[in-house]
Amino acid sequence: MKKLSIYLFLLGMLGAHLGFAQQSTTLRGKVLDETGVPIAGASLSLQGTQTATATDESGNFTIQYTSPAVLVVTALGFVGEDVNLSNQTTLTIRLLANEETLEEVVVVGYGTQRRGEVTSAISSVKAEDFTKGTVRDAAQLIQGKVAGMRITTPSGDPTGSTQINLRGLNSINGSQNPLVLIDGVPGDIATVAPEDIESVDVLKDGSAAAIYGTRATGGVLLITTRKNRSSESKTSIEYNGYANVQTIQRRPDMMDASDFRRLISEGYEYTDYGGNTNWLDQVLQTPVSHNHNLTFFGGNSRTNFTGSLNYRNWEGIMLTTGQERLNVRAALNHDMFDGKLRTNIQVINQTSKSNQGGTGGYIWRQAMIRNPTDNIYNEDGGWQERNDYAYDNPLGLIHESINDRIFRESRFSGSVDYRPIGDLSLKMLISRVINNDLTGNSTTFDHVNTTKNNLNGTASRSTGANTEDLLELTANYNKSFGDHRFTLLGGYSYQYNVGESFEVYNFDFPTDEYTYNRLESGTALQRGLATMESEKDMWKLAGFFGRVNYSWKDRYMLTASIRREGSSAFGANYQWGTFPGVSAAWNVANEEFMQPVAFVSEFKLRGGFGVTGTIANNPYQSQTSYNFNTSQGAYINGKWVPGFVPARNFNPDLRWEKKEEWNVGLDFGFMKNRVTGSLDYYVRNVKDLLYNFPVPTPPYLFGNMMLNAGEMQNSGFEVLVNVRAVETKTVKWNTNVTFSTNKNKLVNLSNEQFNVTREFFDAGHTGEPIQISTHRVAVGGPIGQYFVYKSVGLDENGGWLVESREGEVISMEDATPEDRQYYGNGIPKFNVGWNNTVNIQNFDVSVNFRGAFGHQVLNMQSLYYDNPVNRSYNVLKTAFDPIDGKELRNSLVYVSHYIEDADYLKIDNVTLGYTFKPNSIKGISNLRIYFSGLNLHTFTGYRGIDPEAVSYSGDFTFAPGMDHRDKYPSTRTYTLGLNVTF
Amino acid sequence: MKMKTKIVAYGSLLAVTLGAGISSCTNLDEEVYSEVLASSFKPTERDLPYILAPIYAPFRGSMLGWHGYFDLQEESADAVVTPVRPNGWDDGGTYRRMHQHNWTSEQSQPNNAWGMAFSSISRCNMTIMQIEDGTLTLPEDVAAAALVELRAVRALAYYFLLDNHGNVPIVTDYRDDSLPEQNTRQEVYDFILSELATVLPDLTEEVSPNTYGRMTKWAARALLAKIYLNAEVYTGTPQWDKVIEEADIIIGSELFALDANYSDVFTYTNQNSGEIIFAVPYDEIYGQGASLHMKTLDPLSRLVYGMSAGPWGGNCAVPQFIDTYDPDDTRLQDTWIQGPQYHASTGEEVINYVKEVSEIARDGGVPSNAGFRVGKYKIKQGATNNLDNDFPLFRYGDVLMMKAEALLRKGDANGAAALVTEVRQRAFKDNPEKAAVTGADLLKGSTYQYGWQNPDGTVDEVNGGADIKFGRFLDELGWEFAAEARRRQDLIRFGVFQTKSWFNHRPHAQAQTRTLFPIPFAELSKNPKLEPNPGY
Repeated sequence: MKKLSIYLFLLGMLGAHLGFAQQSTTLRGKVLDETGVPIAGASLSLQGTQTATATDESGNFTIQYTSPAVLVVTALGFVGEDVNLSNQTTLTIRLLANEETLEEVVVVGYGTQRRGEVTSAISSVKAEDFTKGTVRDAAQLIQGKVAGMRITTPSGDPTGSTQINLRGLNSINGSQNPLVLIDGVPGDIATVAPEDIESVDVLKDGSAAAIYGTRATGGVLLITTRKNRSSESKTSIEYNGYANVQTIQRRPDMMDASDFRRLISEGYEYTDYGGNTNWLDQVLQTPVSHNHNLTFFGGNSRTNFTGSLNYRNWEGIMLTTGQERLNVRAALNHDMFDGKLRTNIQVINQTSKSNQGGTGGYIWRQAMIRNPTDNIYNEDGGWQERNDYAYDNPLGLIHESINDRIFRESRFSGSVDYRPIGDLSLKMLISRVINNDLTGNSTTFDHVNTTKNNLNGTASRSTGANTEDLLELTANYNKSFGDHRFTLLGGYSYQYNVGESFEVYNFDFPTDEYTYNRLESGTALQRGLATMESEKDMWKLAGFFGRVNYSWKDRYMLTASIRREGSSAFGANYQWGTFPGVSAAWNVANEEFMQPVAFVSEFKLRGGFGVTGTIANNPYQSQTSYNFNTSQGAYINGKWVPGFVPARNFNPDLRWEKKEEWNVGLDFGFMKNRVTGSLDYYVRNVKDLLYNFPVPTPPYLFGNMMLNAGEMQNSGFEVLVNVRAVETKTVKWNTNVTFSTNKNKLVNLSNEQFNVTREFFDAGHTGEPIQISTHRVAVGGPIGQYFVYKSVGLDENGGWLVESREGEVISMEDATPEDRQYYGNGIPKFNVGWNNTVNIQNFDVSVNFRGAFGHQVLNMQSLYYDNPVNRSYNVLKTAFDPIDGKELRNSLVYVSHYIEDADYLKIDNVTLGYTFKPNSIKGISNLRIYFSGLNLHTFTGYRGIDPEAVSYSGDFTFAPGMDHRDKYPSTRTYTLGLNVTF
Repeated sequence: MKMKTKIVAYGSLLAVTLGAGISSCTNLDEEVYSEVLASSFKPTERDLPYILAPIYAPFRGSMLGWHGYFDLQEESADAVVTPVRPNGWDDGGTYRRMHQHNWTSEQSQPNNAWGMAFSSISRCNMTIMQIEDGTLTLPEDVAAAALVELRAVRALAYYFLLDNHGNVPIVTDYRDDSLPEQNTRQEVYDFILSELATVLPDLTEEVSPNTYGRMTKWAARALLAKIYLNAEVYTGTPQWDKVIEEADIIIGSELFALDANYSDVFTYTNQNSGEIIFAVPYDEIYGQGASLHMKTLDPLSRLVYGMSAGPWGGNCAVPQFIDTYDPDDTRLQDTWIQGPQYHASTGEEVINYVKEVSEIARDGGVPSNAGFRVGKYKIKQGATNNLDNDFPLFRYGDVLMMKAEALLRKGDANGAAALVTEVRQRAFKDNPEKAAVTGADLLKGSTYQYGWQNPDGTVDEVNGGADIKFGRFLDELGWEFAAEARRRQDLIRFGVFQTKSWFNHRPHAQAQTRTLFPIPFAELSKNPKLEPNPGY
């Protein structure tokens, strides 16, 4: 609330200032484009009078007026503006480029650039092209619209987020995620509500991203929030709201009670408990979610504000899952001293709350495996429990658990932009982002923790707090003379982050009434069985950067940048790294010899090279430090003491991982830009890979050591084509296709210090009870290969037959780990997106398709539930389907049978909207209603729930393509929504 | 004018902020909160327990832990097996490979043993270096005592390697981080003996809670006896006299005695046992890691012990081994959980463990009640997933039996019989006449019906035990030391490991090479100076 009072205070000040009135005034002003470049020849006139003038070469003008008056500003290629004048003597007017001239502005690192001057691979998606309907976060807005950026939703979990991958896997131990900047301040894709975003720009290649140095290997996502573009004293309010329902995307067809009874009569050793329960029905619900967004714009040419309130209450398809979230944003801009000093204050606050009961992956598994003849309740009205291994009543787990979480984040940022002379801007940006996370978990006396394990109620609380400060100083100088145009940028950036966490767990309570609110009443603490953990860490990042842009006649363009950046996470001698980027472009279309070829409006060849870096995920990797560790303790001198052990194998020589990227591309526009698009080809070489390298024991204490070792390569081709296919007064059809390929290779894994070359590393894990790794990444090979026993059929007893390393068919019983082989790959060879928007009079329709091809998915649902041998657990109906005419009678094993081709094409989003005529309802300037379906249909041969819903982040970065057994199932969403502008 | 002043004011404000920023703008020092920096920690005598603890900790991590030393020594032998259970438990075939000796250089159990030993060795080396270079400042006598203890622990760790992997690098200097050279099994054997000979005079003779769980002179002598007992396996040259010599010194000290009750040696209060010479202590709170009961018990046994964790239901006794017991031998009951099990509070029967186990990997798994379970380490009521029982690595009963075996092999069967009888007495309290064995008995073969077990329990391809030299003595070792993580060693010494079939195990095609485990693949690939063990 603090921010609100500041904001109100400033608003008050403003009101006071506007109270004065005078007569006949001289106004001196300047007209600029959005990037701050002066517009020459703009015409200015006073509405209803003959008074008129035009701007000079530097965009300056002078005009006499009598207050109040309305100044009408127009300029070729720009959207005109009316400005209310009351007593001001100076004025800076910013005009937006007219869309049809395609002088579109692109957000680049530390500034903006005209589209035509961009020399590197940057994708820009504006609000009108965003995905419509129910959108989870910023990434989903641009899903399928940026070639080379694969955005997927790994589960139907309402608290989950999308995952992003740009141009392949580029790091082993560093983050794969892009750097997300919200109006220049680091955040993440869920920091602001999707409704509050004006544009998302993606810096894809190294030459564009190099200005962000070490955080940019995964690309840079520049999110620009909505701003008040109006310079007149106009207030508007927009409301966007929707409600949706979800259904499970594809329901696993498990055996029901009648199947069990039939099998029992056929002699199978299943147990009939006499009941009839559809466990999936019991744990699933039909969720209804709603989302409301209010945006306010107000102010005048010198002071304006944008405020937004976003409330969402989302439910998930699994019982008790959901999240309530409130995002509030207030931005205030104020110009002083004839526009010489421009200030901005922005506050973004987010609170999300979830009360999820016991639902999670384990519940899904329990609902899947639970005997359908069993009952929910026992004869005493309690939960019916059984004593099999890892087998609990899912409803008991859901209803007897509390899992509450509150996440709060406040972001404060302020900037001062001082322009002592027209072409120079000195800017300071400071921000502080504070978040804290508070969870509370408990289980009642009717939970299996107590009914089975005698814990007498469990409860825990945990909290984490993070503060991140940022200071950025930039100087920007623009100069044009003749046909030459220069931009110079120099700057400094400093980031400081402190994270803290605390967690306590206790059990053995006298009552379960306290839930997690009176932890001291549990006696496990006195018995020495409660647990407690706390931790604190920090990191710093400092960088100096500079960039020069040059263009001549909009034909030849050059951009060169450099960043020198240091991180506290590395050894003292290796803290600093240098990250250069250079790119050039030639717009052939602007050459004189091309003028007769009217068909071509843009034909820009681009080429660039840039270096970005990656920091290890955790700080302190280079420190020589120890810990007191109870797990390394022993009984010494008659009592237990913790062991004092080194925290890691010490490596003070740890340094940056570097990605060098080459990119060549072409931006084109034909037929007056009816057809536009770009092609890009890139090669990325990642060197000095940070890798937890295996080192010999002896002599080392630990078998792994964080080292710079190895090299990885990615290459790929990307296409974006935009066609305004139909453009008549009543019908408009815009269609857009993205296509991308990616080829990935681990070039080597070696470290000269050990003179050892690692041939491969294993990744992924089936989990219990199969307990084997799923993937192997071999030097010289692509990432994502499964490493598995290749099944060729079943023997007469129903046991798996697999291919041995010599190529012979052997029984799975006789196979050894050496018989495993590479089989398929979880990373798609190419990805496709096809997005359409059609406007027919007042109707608008958008249809988005998305697909991925040339990859395989490990169907873990099938791996575990298409095997009928375990009679304690329920399985899919298909489990008894014969394979090679025989029934499978092999214990659970990881064989290639479960790795399926997973090509798919999704009808991802279909939205139908109707916009009422402006002011058809008094006081409402715009009204639109729409209906939208998300994840509508998937064309695929894959048999699991969703071929796209596979995780490729975290532990599974190098085990892509695993459709996890216990994941939150994917859903289909139907949305009804409303947009109103007052 | 006024405007100008303002600009100046703002300008200077900007400059001040700028200046403040720049003064710290290249400072990238890390502030460390949750770790102890080497530069700020000056250890002294007070810290010695914390510094010694990590050299013992790896043994605790492995002995009764997941895929630990117990599994390595028992699941490769003829008394314990982990069959596939209804809920899975094939775990990628790892238990089948242990049972059938098909392990490879990527098998986790032997690799974990390597990790356990070298973890302790490297920590010993590091601490020795710290004492020698003065990083750790200790009074002279304390330093001297610590050094001999460190070297004795290192020798113990090398004994595990000598027994399991044989040809391993001998590493003693922590400063040297070059790739270590491989040594032969003979060199490792010589190294351990020379180390122990050096430190023995200075090792403490104290037997008290202060030295419990630590290498004393007696633990070192028991270790020596153990190495001499297996010297023929390790080097080709037997050392029976030296076994007797070491055993006699321990016996002569009169510091140890057989516990009156067999189960006292293994119970959850066994720190009080007078029989234990060296134990790896465990504690359910402070010294966690003993999860053997979790692996062996069926989930239903939770109700029998009022446990606060649900066991996993895995390993059990090989039926053929159970058949060798004299039914009146109380060690059969003391070692194996069998028959009906009753609910701790209601008294209802919850599960009935039967001896029969049909096969190791049956379609759908063997029934959850198949096979007797490891109950030697008594499970207390209200057990958590960490046992409280200490693991006795060397005990007085073993010293007597080592001496007996040496006597037997030297031809003094009657002398051996007297010691065996002494050990047996507490197992036949109700039938004292059965306790006595004669020298002639010990010269007989084994009663173990070696051969391939069919699913119906019958045994095919019988190659019996009658032909095993001193087979009866091997049986005695089995009864006395079952489930003490050592059966493999005994089977190798008696030539059974390489030649006999049991349950679903047949002798491996290259059986002799299976008496050593492979050098871990990971280590071979990290250190090109290492060669695989023969046969791998």
